[in-house]
Formats: sequence, structure tokens, C-alpha cells
Amino acid sequence: MRLIAALLATALLAVPPAMAQQRPLIWGDTLPATLDPHAIFDVPSQFILLNAYDGLYRYQGNPPQLTPWLVERHTTSADGLTWEFTLREGVKFHDGTPMTSEDVAYSFRRLLAMNRAPAAAFSPVLKPEGISTPDERTVRFVLSAPYAPFLAALPLVAVVNAKLLQANTVNDDWGAAWLAANDAGSGAYRMDPATYRTRTSLDLERFAEHFLGWAHNRRPIDQVRSRPIMETSTRVLALLRGEIDAGDSYLPTDQVERVERNARTRVQKDESMRVFIIRMNNRKPPFDNLDARLCFAHAFNYEGFNTIILKGLVVRNAGPNPNSLWGNPPNLAPYAFDLAKAKEHCDRARAAGSPIGREIEIHIQSELEQTTQAAQMFQADLRRVGINLKIVPNTWANITAATARAESTPDTWIHWVSSYFIDPENWIGQMYDSRFHGTWKASSWYRNERVDAMLAQARGSLDRAERERLYQEATRIVVAESPDIWVYNTLNLRGVSRRVQGWNFSPVGSGGELRTLWLEN
Amino acid sequence: MARYILRRVLLALPALFGLVLLTFVLTRVIPGDPAATLAGDSATPAQIADIRARYGLDRPIWEQALVHVKQVLTGDLGSSIFSGRPVIEEIGFRLPATLELTFFALFLATAIGIPLGVVAALNHNGPVDQLVRLISVGGLAIASFWLALMLQLVFAMEWDVLPLRGRVEVELGTPPLRTGFLLIDSLLAGRLDQFRDALWHLVLPAVTLCLPGLASIARFTRSGMLEMLQKDFVLYARAAGYGRFRLYAIYVLRNAVTVTVTQIGLLFGALISGAVAVEAIYDWPGLGTYAVQAILSADYKALLAVTLVVGVVYAAVNVLVDVVQALVDPRVAEDIR
Amino acid sequence: MIALRRLLRDPVACFGLLLVLGALFIALFAPWIAPYPEDAYESHIMQRLRPPSAEFPFGTDNLGRDILSRVILGTRSALVVAVAVVGASLLIGVPIGLLAGWRDGWLSDVLMRLTDVFLAVPQLILALALGQLLAPGLSTAMLALALTYWPFFARTVYAETRRLRTALFVDALAGIGASTTRILLLHVLPNAAPAILIRATIGMGFTILTAALLGFLGVGAAPPSPDWGLAVAEARQHLPEAWWFPTFPGLAILLLVLGFNLLGDGLRDIADPRLRRSRH
Repeated sequence: MRLIAALLATALLAVPPAMAQQRPLIWGDTLPATLDPHAIFDVPSQFILLNAYDGLYRYQGNPPQLTPWLVERHTTSADGLTWEFTLREGVKFHDGTPMTSEDVAYSFRRLLAMNRAPAAAFSPVLKPEGISTPDERTVRFVLSAPYAPFLAALPLVAVVNAKLLQANTVNDDWGAAWLAANDAGSGAYRMDPATYRTRTSLDLERFAEHFLGWAHNRRPIDQVRSRPIMETSTRVLALLRGEIDAGDSYLPTDQVERVERNARTRVQKDESMRVFIIRMNNRKPPFDNLDARLCFAHAFNYEGFNTIILKGLVVRNAGPNPNSLWGNPPNLAPYAFDLAKAKEHCDRARAAGSPIGREIEIHIQSELEQTTQAAQMFQADLRRVGINLKIVPNTWANITAATARAESTPDTWIHWVSSYFIDPENWIGQMYDSRFHGTWKASSWYRNERVDAMLAQARGSLDRAERERLYQEATRIVVAESPDIWVYNTLNLRGVSRRVQGWNFSPVGSGGELRTLWLEN
Repeated sequence: MARYILRRVLLALPALFGLVLLTFVLTRVIPGDPAATLAGDSATPAQIADIRARYGLDRPIWEQALVHVKQVLTGDLGSSIFSGRPVIEEIGFRLPATLELTFFALFLATAIGIPLGVVAALNHNGPVDQLVRLISVGGLAIASFWLALMLQLVFAMEWDVLPLRGRVEVELGTPPLRTGFLLIDSLLAGRLDQFRDALWHLVLPAVTLCLPGLASIARFTRSGMLEMLQKDFVLYARAAGYGRFRLYAIYVLRNAVTVTVTQIGLLFGALISGAVAVEAIYDWPGLGTYAVQAILSADYKALLAVTLVVGVVYAAVNVLVDVVQALVDPRVAEDIR
Repeated sequence: MIALRRLLRDPVACFGLLLVLGALFIALFAPWIAPYPEDAYESHIMQRLRPPSAEFPFGTDNLGRDILSRVILGTRSALVVAVAVVGASLLIGVPIGLLAGWRDGWLSDVLMRLTDVFLAVPQLILALALGQLLAPGLSTAMLALALTYWPFFARTVYAETRRLRTALFVDALAGIGASTTRILLLHVLPNAAPAILIRATIGMGFTILTAALLGFLGVGAAPPSPDWGLAVAEARQHLPEAWWFPTFPGLAILLLVLGFNLLGDGLRDIADPRLRRSRH
């Protein structure tokens, strides 16, 4: 009898409430290597940052607007050193603990103590002693030097549940071992640690008590299953067959048409801020010679690459900053593909004794086909002007390790600079100021004291008009000296299922915010 | 026999110790600087130096090796420098996936390979024999990654009759984790739909992976059978009126296990490299994809652990194979060095 | 000579020999046979991914290059890799095998334990790790393969030497005062040669397969090399539309490896009289 009752109970419990019957959203984009939002900062980690956590500010919309998020208002002192933020009321973490200014202060201290990638934007100007909490709703930062991009970089920092982390701290690790596979956020979705397998799977469920409420979305998605598919073509096929609802934000342009044609899927196209660049190591001959660099800049078939291989889905970008960002000089002319001109510059470089005839290496990221295609095309065209380019397949990990020193930095290599925060500092500031030498962003080892001075001044200035002027001027100089080859600004292409609606794209995070999405039947 | 087994296990130990050292040296000279990768995008040189010190990467290499050996001996394989999670835990999730695939492939290889070998032996030098020979040689000549891709192209992409990737349909969900083997876990959970789905997902990867094994098993069964058919006792038995099929049945039953077990030992390397290729194509969340990922991201901790785990499994398999052989044929035990 | 005649009597082995010789011929004269030899490095983005036609019998790839030409041009590197790797493995493995097999005592033990260590590492994973060790590329891949393949030769030679060491004629030679080196090089090695030859032939096929797999995984040959494994990897993104793109390079691998394996199989039949086909 008891058995029957138990069975009956199970059967009743097994009938799910109507709400839960909704099919889960299956997310096929890459998962970051760790769930700890302070330990990593790359494109995949944005998914965790935007959905499981909240920050003081967040970029919303396109072009991206810096929007107060956990913050109600803020004040800045006249010298630009003291910043005071007043938090919203009623914000709760996933475990029900109310968020206070202590959590914010703890998060920033943790970030600085761990000193991993996202700390780089703050560590030069912010010390742990500079963070204080005058009251429960107020957090104060005192910077050691004026830093204009401070506000722009705030969305990088997730606010974590300090009490929960303190309870899970071993050996003063700031809870790092625990948070790598657990949730301590307040974001719109709660991660289920039991389902987490590194880079393989993670389930999320909607956090009904999110501080913004859910009034903006009539039918929010309750269950999200993140099931990354490693390989591009498999990911696209899985999307076409309806196995996943969204792919990654690097849909190959060759696949766009196919995804659009399928009755189940379409391509979410958004103008983004991700610049495709061929780097040259300006410290290594022949690239210490302007003519040699100009020769290379004129030997890349921009038109052919952008319109034929990438099917015209990208926009030519003349300099380091994305076209759509402020701080670009008006009518900045891009370099054109012109082999005669390239030859002219090459001859001039050769006459000046530059070793332009040596074998020059170009390092590609094997798993990203665009880098291979660009390198092979470049190689064929350079051969026509008598330059021998050798393609070296490599990985992101290896190349970024090699860029720590000029001698080990490859002659040339190919990569994108994505939008980590929306400010010229993210592009020209960190790419061409020599103080960043040794980081991959500054791997062209370009040095120009005037540019250094202008970028430093722009970094410290709080006057937007002055910054605009400085960045325009610096951009003009840098482009004229052609330290790198800037190719295009990306259109963000994500293959998605047609049933998914409510996309809320912003270049930061590549449109991976789940909060506004719903499923059409 | 017990002494033999003990001796065989002891003999494997120095090799394993050497393996620990060798893998350490190899993986630590991987050029990617783990500290730089760990610090991540837009880290400054100061940040990288800080991390290097924290993980002991700035110590002399012999000191790092000593620490490593000590850790391994205490069963601590460390944490992945990227995910921050204990490597052994990550491998724990992935090893069953690879083992399930491998076992299923071996099952297929035996189930198809032995009958093929028998048929070939019975048709010695006939057209069927030549055909089986071509299959068994061809099976070892096909690049596993290419075959996997071709099968996927035809059966999953063009005809859409078999799953494209993965171990199970995401929508169906997975049974609660018990053994890590989906076929077993789904049955334990009483979910026949998941069992069927998991089996369905196994077909293409297992067929690809089984081919080298199938080829060798068919070939060894054939030659073993031929050898037996020429033995004196068979001739006597035949003369004494034993039926042919009865003899074959005795042979097949007696040798099926031995042939398979021996082949596992010989084929383990091929199975592992096959698994790396097959897992890469079918997006199988196993040890192979883990190893490739670890190498591509210069995660030396993970790579060390994978190499070590695979090495231990390999050594264990070989000990087991030797023991089984010794049980079947005690002369082997005396012969071993 | 007798061996060759026996080999020629075996149709399947002959087919293998034919495949190997054919590949050798193609490799030697590749630049003259290939319809578009410059497609080794050229790209023609206006004619990307064309299906097979009279102009391009195997179609064109993602950069508009003729796949037939690239398959032909890739033969050379496939064979060079195989020969170099097997050659280097022989150079390492044979002396170690001879030494360990001939001597007793600690040296022999150390050598064979070393061999065991290398055998205990999964070959592919070691090769992958090594491939990343130096800059990834074909030469690194070759080094890695040689470093992981020599133990097989050491094992083979070791077993043969052990067997021959106790043979009567070796005792006799030692009795009449022949030096160890002389015995090893002039008497033991030639007797072990058939086993080595079979191992080497099979090893050629095996090396081609593993090198292709390394190329496929991105740690072997570098673009724009017409390497077959690399071509299959590049083709993945264009499936299922461009079915011809991975198909033909893969078939080329299959045929060449099949050739070596059939040849090795035939040689084994000759060397192992118990399984000789002519009997029965």
C-alpha cells in the first residue's frame, strides 16, 4: 500500500507545472574555461558575466550606451580622483542574501588581489586601500591618478556574494577554487553547479527575483542549457538541424546564406566593434623601416578579402579604432591594394638596406579559418612583389606568450581586437602606447613619443572634447606610420533559431544577454 | 601464477615512474607560457610575473619536477591552470565517455571480426579470403578522421538518418550521474528513451573506431584458425568422425576471448589516436578532446594528467593481457623477461 | 630474388607494390604531372569551391586551387615524411635493439625499460605535445613521430637478436674468434632484416596516417602546403556542400597507406612460412 502511495506521489510530482513545460533554450556558444568572473576576461566569459552576474554599469544597445545597473547615481570629484556610487535598493543574490556596498568593495578587492586579466584596467590606478564603504549603500573609490576610462571599464567587474565566498575560502584563495565551478551572483540567471562540466555543459535557470524584475519580458525563458560545440561546421549543422538555438558570434561568412535559407534558422547580424588586424613587429627588421611597412600595407587585397571571401559582410576599417567609435579623424583614408605602389615602397626599403628579401613569418591561429585564408591570400600577393611569406600555424596561447618580448614576437600575426570596453583606450590606447609593450595588444612594439604623450594625456583627461581631439590626432599619426595592417570592422554574425526572439545586441558580450529573449512557438 | 602476476605488475612500475618524469619534462617545455595564458587577455608583464611566482613556475625546473613527482605519488594531479578545477575531477567526467565508446567499438570489432576471420579461413585462398584480406588490410589503412568525416557527411549530413554529434540529444536530458556510462546510467534510471538515444549516438563513432580492431581481429582469427586446421589433433579428430562445425565451434569459443584480449593490448595505441580523431569529429566529450584542448591552450597540468592516466590505463591493460594469456597458455609465464 | 618472385605470385601484394611504385613515380614527377603546379601556393579567390569538372577533375578548394594538382603535389611530402621518420626510427631503434638483445645485465635492462617508457606513452599524445613543443610544423611532427616510433624497431630487433644469440652458428662464429661487432653487423643483422623490413613497410603506412592526423589536428604541415590531412581539416568548414574537398585527399591517403600495408602483408606471408599462402 505504501508502495502504491509512493508511486502515486512520484507520478503526481512528475507531472510538471505548465510553466516548466516550455522547451529549454539550448545555447551552442563556447563556454569560458572557468566560471569565476574575476579570473578570466575573454569573449566567452561575457556570457557568464552578463547572465549570472551584475556589475555597477552595463553596456546596453548598439551603439553601446553605458547604463547604470546596480548603481542609482554617482558623483566624481573635480580632480577626477574620487568616485562615489550609490547602490540600488533591494538587490538580492541568488541565495537570497541582500547585496550591500560591502559586496561591491569585496569584489573589487578580490579582483585586484587575484590580479588576473580583468584587473589590468584598474590595477595601475586603484589600490585596495582606495576602496571604502561609507555606508551600506555607498561605495567609494579613490584613484591614485586621473583615469578617464574608469567608468567605461566598470562593466568588466562582476559583483560577487562576499559572504558566500568568504564561507568557501581555503588558504586565502579568495574562494577561487570554489568559484571556478559555482555561482555567487545576482544576475538574471542562476547557474546550476551540479550540471557544470568544464567547457562542455552548464544549465542555467531563471532567477525570478532579479532586481530588474521581469516586466520587460512577457515570456522569459526559464531553462537554458549551454552545450558548446567545439567545431565550427558541426556547430552550424547542429543549428540547422535544430539541436541548438544559437551558435557563436563568429559564424563563417560562407555559412551565412545557408543559415538564412533554412526554414528553422536565421542570422542575427549586428554591426559590432571587433577589428581584424595583421600585426607587424616594428622592432624586427625589415619592419623597422617605414617603406617596408607601407609595402606590406599596399600588398593586402582588402577588397578581395572583404567582398569575395567574406562576402561583403564586413566593413573596411582604416585605422585601429572601429569606424563606429568616437575619436576617429573624419575622412581617414584607408590604404588601398596596389601592387605597383607596394613594389615601389619595397624597392625603396631594399635600397635603404632593409632585409626585405628574408623569409618573413606570419603566425595564424589554426582554429580560426579566416586567419588562414587571409595569410594565404597575402602570401600569394606578396610573392608578386618578391616577398617570401611563410605561414606558421600557431595558437592564441602560444602567440600571446611570445609577445611578452620583442625578440620572440612573430614577424607578423593575425588577430581581432574585440570590444572589452567601449573607449578608444581599448583600441588605440592599449595598442600603440609603448607603456603596454609586452602585452599582446601592443605587440607591434610601436613607439612614438608624441603618440605616447597624447595617449597618456587622453587617458588622464576628463574632458571628452579634449580626448576626442587627442585621439584623432594620435590616430592620424599612427595610420601614417602604418605600424600594422588594419583590415575590417566586423559585422557580428550569430546563427540563431527563428523561434528565439527579443535579441538585445550590444558589442560588449556579442549579444549573449539572455534576459530579454523569449521563445516563439 | 600469483607470483607471475605480482612480477608483471612490479615490472610495470619503473616504466610508469619514467613516464611521470618524461611527461613532466615534455610538457614543461611546451613553449606557450602558461602564466601568460593564465593571466589572459590584456594582462601586463607584471601581472604575468606575479602569476608565475604564485604557481611556482619561476622555480628551477628540477625543483618543479620534484614537486610534481611528489604530488603524483600522493595522488594529487593538481588543478587545471585554466578552469581552476582539480584535473582528476575533469578527467573523471571524461574518461567514462571515452571508455564507453572504446568498449562499444571493441564489442563491434569482435562481433564482426571473428566471424569474418573464420569465414576467410574456411575459404582459404579463395575469393572470400582475398576479400576479407583486403578489408582487414584496408581497415588499417583508412585515416580514422577521414572515415569519421565521410560517414558523418553521408549518414548525418546528407541522409540525416543518424545523429550528427555528441552522446545524447540535449533536449532529452541526461540521466543522473552514477557510472558515467550513459548506456548504464539511463537503464538504472529506467529511461529507455535515453538509452535508445545514447545507443543511437554511439553508432557512427563506434563504427569508425572499431575498424582497425576489426581488421586485426579478423586477420588473427583467420591465421589462428588456419594453424589449428593443420594441427595433428584436428586431423585425428576429423578422422575419428568429429564434425567440422563442432571443431570450428570449439576453436572459435576457445579463442574468441584470447584473440580479442591480445588485440586490445596491441591496438591500444591505435584506439587512443583513433579516439582523438573520432571524438574531434563527433564532438564527443571524452579524453581525446580534452587532450587536444589541453595542448592547444598550453594547459600543462591537464596534459600531464591525461598522459599519465592514459599511460596507467595502458600499463594496466597490458598487464591484464599478459595475465590472461598466461592463464590460457602457461608457457608464456615462464618466457617473460 | 626468390622472395621477389614469391611476392609477384601474390596478386594482392602485387597490387600493393603497384600502388607504392605509382606513388613514387607521382612524387618524383609531381611538378610535371600536376595540371596546375603553381597551385601549391597560389590562390584564385574568384573560382572558390567549384565542383569536379573537366577543367578541375577533383574540383577546387576554399581558395580556388585545383585539388587534383594539390593531391599530386602532396604525394611527395607524404612519402618524404614516411621515409624520413622510418629512417630515423631505424637509426635509433636498431642499435638499441641489437645492444640490448646481445648483452645481458644492467645496460640491457635500462635500454629496454627506456623502450617500455616510450611505448607506455600514447604515441599520438606524445606527438601532439612535441608538435607544440617546438614551433608546430612538419619537421616537428616528423621528429615527434620518429621519437615515438623507434621503440617498435628496438623491440623487433631485440627479439630477433635474443633468438639468434643462442643460435648454433653464432656460437660457432664466436668460437672461431669473430668480434661481437662483426657478428652483430654481418650475421645477426642480416638475419633480422626480414623482420625489420616488414616492420618498416608497415611503419611507412602507419607514419603517413599519423602525420595526416597531426596535419588534421593543426600541429603538422602548415598551410599552404598541399598536405592531405591539412586539406581534410580545411574542408570541414565547407561541408556538406563541398563534398569533393575532403574526399580526394582522403582517398589519396587511403591508397598510399593501403599500398604499403598490402606490401607489408605480402612480405610477412613470405617471411612466416607457417602462414604461407602457397601451402595447403
